[in-house]
Amino acid sequence: MTMMKTLMIATTTALMATSAMAADIFVVGGKPDDPFWSRVKMGAEDAGKVAEAQGGSVTWLGPQNYDNLGPDAAELIRQAIDQGADAIVGPNWVPEAMDSAFEAVVAAGIPLVIYNAGGIEAADRLGALNYVGAVDYKSGYAGGEYLAKAGHTNGACVNTLPGAANIEAFCSGFNDGLAENGGTGSVLQLPATAFGDSTAVAQAVRAHLLQNPDITAMFAIGDQDSNATISGIQQAGKTGSVHVCGMNFNDSILANIKAGTQACAIDQQGYQQGFFAVSILNNHVMYGTTIPTREILTGPGVIDASNVDLVIAGVEAGAR
Amino acid sequence: MSSQNGNGSKGISLGALARRPETGSLIGFIVVYIFFAVLGGPVFLGLPGWSSWLNIAAEVGIIALPVGLLMIAGEFDISVGSIVPAASMMTAMLGGHYDAPAIVAILAGLGVGLTIGLVNGLLVTRTTIPSLIVTIGVMFAVMGLTLGFAVLVKGSTSVSYVPDPLTKSLMGQFVKGFSVSIFWWLGLVAVFFYALHVSPWGNWIFAIGGDKESARNAGIPTSQMTIALFMASGFCAALVGVLQVMTYQQAQVAGGQAFIFNSIMCVVIGGVLLTGGAGSIIGILLGTMTFAVVNQGIFFAGLDPNIQFIITGALLLAAVLSNDRFRAMATSAAAKK
Repeated sequence: MTMMKTLMIATTTALMATSAMAADIFVVGGKPDDPFWSRVKMGAEDAGKVAEAQGGSVTWLGPQNYDNLGPDAAELIRQAIDQGADAIVGPNWVPEAMDSAFEAVVAAGIPLVIYNAGGIEAADRLGALNYVGAVDYKSGYAGGEYLAKAGHTNGACVNTLPGAANIEAFCSGFNDGLAENGGTGSVLQLPATAFGDSTAVAQAVRAHLLQNPDITAMFAIGDQDSNATISGIQQAGKTGSVHVCGMNFNDSILANIKAGTQACAIDQQGYQQGFFAVSILNNHVMYGTTIPTREILTGPGVIDASNVDLVIAGVEAGAR
Repeated sequence: MSSQNGNGSKGISLGALARRPETGSLIGFIVVYIFFAVLGGPVFLGLPGWSSWLNIAAEVGIIALPVGLLMIAGEFDISVGSIVPAASMMTAMLGGHYDAPAIVAILAGLGVGLTIGLVNGLLVTRTTIPSLIVTIGVMFAVMGLTLGFAVLVKGSTSVSYVPDPLTKSLMGQFVKGFSVSIFWWLGLVAVFFYALHVSPWGNWIFAIGGDKESARNAGIPTSQMTIALFMASGFCAALVGVLQVMTYQQAQVAGGQAFIFNSIMCVVIGGVLLTGGAGSIIGILLGTMTFAVVNQGIFFAGLDPNIQFIITGALLLAAVLSNDRFRAMATSAAAKK
């Protein structure tokens, strides 16, 4: 009888403790079937294991597609507020469409971390705790600098998501990276429906290269686009003369780098973005801690023939 | 090209030619081609230009053929958008992850398409739910299954697969810039031409699209025919998925969505009636070619790619309007005689 009573009291206290202390963290990100975002999601969920052990949770909110990216993502942020989030993580992809939703988060007194896109400027402007991610401009710049230093000075950035702030930053970074190392850059704009359609991207790249024979360097904004761009170069008969750097990587990108069909991959380490954003917020909600270092950079890291074997080992170990 | 074969066998008179339903599509193709030839210059007119838009036409064309037949029979298939990645994922998973022989991987990929087509067909014929809704539902279910399956087995949303040289040369090669998928497409054009315009199934399809009840009363096995058509579109969408794996040596769980509207667009520009009962393979072929020229011409012409949507949209409306005009001409001409 007394044992029952003690047990009941213990359970009640435990329940009260969890409801008072647990952090329900909502993470707004890309489509869960997007290769890059599945890694961010894994990072967020791995950090979420701590939150879950403390009775909290991590919920991933991603759009069905990227056709209406800004408004859709803003809607997801509002959904997170409505669902009673204790903390929210979100990328500032399209500031014009998303800023008001982020302002609503801060106005509701919910701790916010901006990640993946927007930079520390967005975090400061919106009153977020911190920014976790690569600086897109620097990622693109690293690609342009790498190719220009290898002697490929006329470049084009393949933009398959025109209008998204981070993609525009990749391209302007790439062009500046070329320009400041003695080259010139341009942007190949594709319609948004080409995103994820390898044949459409490959044929566009091919047509562009045939019409602009001076181009010797290309920049792709994602791993799937990198593969498609390489195919477009092959179909244009320009393998070996046109060199590609691309954002992010997967098995086949690493195989490309090993085989020499791709010059470099720029890694923003998506896993880290999800992991640290969730971690910072969970600790903040639970214990009131902050990270005084503002702008937690997770990239850019350049993967090329010199370090590809290390990265492959990292993939096999499950670390990348 | 092959349009002449279609028209040539009939007696040639200008009036009869103008009343053929494909004429509008042919004029559309010529106008669009000349427009981009002027802007795109010699590279677009040369072999690289032709291979560029034919490569695009081949993939969407393989799907547009059965989607067109379904539309003639009065049905829609939206699920093709999720069958493409599902089939490519199945093929890459078996061939690349489990090292199965290429033929097993390919047959399994195509089997995915046939199975989803069968499910679509059964749901459409056994229930009263419109095919538009059935196939949207199936599309989302298949998308979810593909993602779940990939993450469960591979822990990743992309799988790479390097096919053996023979398979690569049959399904994923480029000959002077022309993708082998163009030959698969042309082969299927011949098969579908036979099915719709030569074999008795063709008349059944038109009859089902014209009036399903009367067709059934006339003894046409409407349910079997509808199921067969959905399986054909599943198969063709899966074939595109397999061809993509062999070409890009990688399968992704996303992608393929663009095929849904693009295939419908090709079919409608090709003169197929949205409400069913009218259309032709030559028209679908021309519609696909027109669509592909607009798609690729943009990059040769150096125009803002978003103009592509405006032109495609305008073409679609023009196609529907001119179809009505040509149909009216055809009926009034027949009435006079």
